[in-house]
Amino acid sequence: MKYATSVGNQTFVIDVNQEDQVSVDGELTPVDFFSLDKATAFSLLLDHNSYEVLVNEESGEYQVLLSGHLFNVRVEDERARRLAQASRGFMPGSGELQIKSPMPGLVVAIPVMEGQPVKKGDVLVVLESMKMENEIKAPRDGTVSGVRVQSRQSVEQNQTLVTVT
Amino acid sequence: MFTKILIANRGEIAIRIIRACRELGIKTVAVYSDVDRSALHVRYADEAYYLGPAPARESYLRIDRILDAAKRSGADAVHPGYGFLAERPDFEMACAENGIAFIGPPASAIGAMGDKAVARMTVQKAGVPVVPGTEGEGGLHDEEILAVAPQVGFPLLIKATAGGGGKGMRLVERFEDLPRALTSARREAEASFGDGAVYLEQVVEGARHVEIQLLADQHGNCVHLGERECSIQRRHQKLIEESPSPIVDEDLRRRMGEVAVRAAQAVNYVNAGTIEFLLDKDKNFYFLEMNTRLQVEHPVTEMVTGVDIVKEQIRIARGRKLRYTQDDIRLNGWSIECRINAEDPFNNFLPSTGCINTLSRPAGPGVRVDSGVDEGSEITPYYDSLLAKMVVWGETRGEAIVRMRRALREYRVIGIKTNIPFHQAIMESHRFHGGQFDTTFVEQRFSIDENIPEELPRVAAIVATLVAHQRGQQAAQIVRGPTRDASNWKLAGRGQAVR
Repeated sequence: MKYATSVGNQTFVIDVNQEDQVSVDGELTPVDFFSLDKATAFSLLLDHNSYEVLVNEESGEYQVLLSGHLFNVRVEDERARRLAQASRGFMPGSGELQIKSPMPGLVVAIPVMEGQPVKKGDVLVVLESMKMENEIKAPRDGTVSGVRVQSRQSVEQNQTLVTVT
Repeated sequence: MFTKILIANRGEIAIRIIRACRELGIKTVAVYSDVDRSALHVRYADEAYYLGPAPARESYLRIDRILDAAKRSGADAVHPGYGFLAERPDFEMACAENGIAFIGPPASAIGAMGDKAVARMTVQKAGVPVVPGTEGEGGLHDEEILAVAPQVGFPLLIKATAGGGGKGMRLVERFEDLPRALTSARREAEASFGDGAVYLEQVVEGARHVEIQLLADQHGNCVHLGERECSIQRRHQKLIEESPSPIVDEDLRRRMGEVAVRAAQAVNYVNAGTIEFLLDKDKNFYFLEMNTRLQVEHPVTEMVTGVDIVKEQIRIARGRKLRYTQDDIRLNGWSIECRINAEDPFNNFLPSTGCINTLSRPAGPGVRVDSGVDEGSEITPYYDSLLAKMVVWGETRGEAIVRMRRALREYRVIGIKTNIPFHQAIMESHRFHGGQFDTTFVEQRFSIDENIPEELPRVAAIVATLVAHQRGQQAAQIVRGPTRDASNWKLAGRGQAVR
């Protein structure tokens, strides 16, 4: 199976068709790829060079933690690439953004109100977790369409705090 | 000597104290909240008593419940660790009232140095230079702060008078930002220390944070154990500490040590304590505050002096005379500590909670890990994010850095995010190697993506592709349905049935 994989501004054409080798931009390399915990940790022997890697998938992108550096990698197989090219005509609408809590915590302050226009970077909610205050900011310009929590409320990870259109 | 000590704390420091007690032949009592029943410190101790629900104010800050556990267990002393009740004079007094020794300074010293505004005033009278800021006893209202701020000058720092550990602090660049920063600082101070009072300090340009460790006995003897450099900080929270400091020579050490001892004697200090100084570009030093407790970063001092500070604390509390004179204290080699926190350095250091599935700690020559967690530990949002302290010793600063790099590579934590990649990046930083950094280094001059080795992006691409491929294959298996691709077990079973 052929893939087009991009990291930063580099793209590699990677062919995975055998258990023990991959072809990267046409060059064959022996690989030994082993999952350490069936989920996120892997040991890779790439032509006998040993790497320990943590991989996390988030919204179609792979976060790869390797030797203390974090890479965001996008992997497209041939099918996905054709689909992507076909649907390039569409412009996804700006829809409603759900601002979710990145961790469990306590809502300390909500400096915005429903209907309030906000700019990218404005503080929407202040959460307290691990004894520190964390400001949750607007990822883009918009208007606060809903406030789903109140002050002094405990929230879970990924709980919707505020919606922005 | 004491027969039994109750450790009024949790996590790595509770384990540290238990270890010292074990070596002194003293029995140990742990206390725990709802979420800490299976914590490492509970499993290490000889006895354990339940305190209450997870939030600190319902458990680790409950003086009544802690004293109750002390009395029921028959503990004759309490060690408060750091944070929680360590610098609460009312806790010290409650212990005294119940005939339980408090392993720390007397309540009067805690009170005198605990209010940072009062502390500045007290040491100034003893001829100790202080960081310029608001004068007097503190307890200023918002209007008074707004009135005096222009005299202090901008940028300035709002600090909690009951503060410590970088909490309740805010940097204010302009007068217009002051009201919002005041509210935020007061709120954080109220949450952390139960007291929202603040004072103001000038920002010292290019400041380095250098602190002096002290030990004082009940007989008036006081020695210093050299300095620690703690300038690698983020949001005023220390991340990396080292001893000695790359910019302190013998002469400066002697002068700072003498001033530190004088500051401690001004409040009749007893037991372990630390005087924090700010060093400006010209190596003038100014008193910042005194921490009247054992500190997180005490291991680096232990590594270079050979002194077991916790055991000395216990001996001092028992009334023993200090075993060292100033001449006995020698600094040997170099030590660095990295605080391993449950935070994501690639996402604004957001705290990370969850379960530690895999944990592998470094070892080998010159490596010490003080950890509060183990495999299977659940990291919750109720307490601070410190998981462990990674400490190394080397003959020189260079060796210590190389050793830390080696040890960080061996440190594997899977299940939650940690700031290990951040520490690895600092250990690769040229400025860190050169010892050229001040307290603004992390926030202003450092980027975690410096120096990416050339071959890594390709390796990352290969790994992601292999993972995507594997998952794609698995998904395809499930989608295909039970036809010829039925599991081998089923096929074998059918084969059997047909036979």
